[in-house]
Amino acid sequence: MRCPLNGPRNISEFVYGGEVVGMPDPETVSDADWADHVFLEDNRRGVVREWWLHVATAYWFIAERDTATDEIVRTYPSSDVFTERVSFPVPGGKGGGT
Amino acid sequence: MSDGGVSPAELPRRSPVYRELAFAGARFVEAHGGAVAESFAIDAAAEIRTARRLALADFSLLPHLGFKGRETVDWLRRQGVDVGDRDNLAYRQSDGALAARLAPREVLLISDVAGRSGLCKRLAAAASIDEEIEAFPVPRGDGYFWFLVSGERAAAMFAKVCGVDLRTGKFSELEIAQTSVARMNAVVVRDDLGDTPAYHILGDVASAGYLWACLLDAMEEFDGGLAGLGTVRRLAGL
Repeated sequence: MRCPLNGPRNISEFVYGGEVVGMPDPETVSDADWADHVFLEDNRRGVVREWWLHVATAYWFIAERDTATDEIVRTYPSSDVFTERVSFPVPGGKGGGT
Repeated sequence: MSDGGVSPAELPRRSPVYRELAFAGARFVEAHGGAVAESFAIDAAAEIRTARRLALADFSLLPHLGFKGRETVDWLRRQGVDVGDRDNLAYRQSDGALAARLAPREVLLISDVAGRSGLCKRLAAAASIDEEIEAFPVPRGDGYFWFLVSGERAAAMFAKVCGVDLRTGKFSELEIAQTSVARMNAVVVRDDLGDTPAYHILGDVASAGYLWACLLDAMEEFDGGLAGLGTVRRLAGL
């Protein structure tokens, strides 16, 4: 697989990280849709977008892979897709606690 | 053990492989707050021949420091560090130190092989007062071991433990490979000593002893040995 940061590397240096999906608004989404987002995967046949990790550099990127042929179509940095920082409002101001 | 009276265990800083160095008969000298292995062989010329053929040296006590964060490269440039735009390339500084650009937001600084560069010390001091800047120091000096493999047979040895082709025709000087070496994560930087190919290897200090033993084992069939920092300096012409 070609890592966008490090170039071609043995597949043993990579770990799969799940489908690339948008996150529903946690304030307004229904419980059913949130559960779907957190727990369920589409598992489609064809070219899908997936998160992959290059372990040696702890670098997460996106790969487009054909689930029928296992061919990796292309790979690119996540910054190509996610261009804005996502932040969550914390009730009561600074510090979210645990 | 050592013949000069410098005992690694009695100094404040210790290399993660100081026991291995002592067991191999290192002649230690005091430097960088600890004992560095200056040489191993009684015959200095023989040790240089080993280093030209295939040798392993421990640099762990020499200054090395990382920086991470969104503004890392800009901040380092403002501090006078020469960092280019290409990832996985090391940039030579005027004092011989290397700024290894690991990612758009991560740079690893390593001193020259003589350990004379004051860059890491200066930047560590500068970083502590720039609290608002998104470039924070990562204490690689403590967290990363630092070895050097030198010699004409180094690439052939690496082929046994590393999937990246490190032959000199394929892997240029100052190029970086962040990859798996003997199944552990490591940063490899090619930095020749004069006309002798050489590679820095840095990785998690917790696995230093493991990789040291792995490399020595892999080097055996190529007639590899150990080299002290004095030998490395002489090969580099320093």
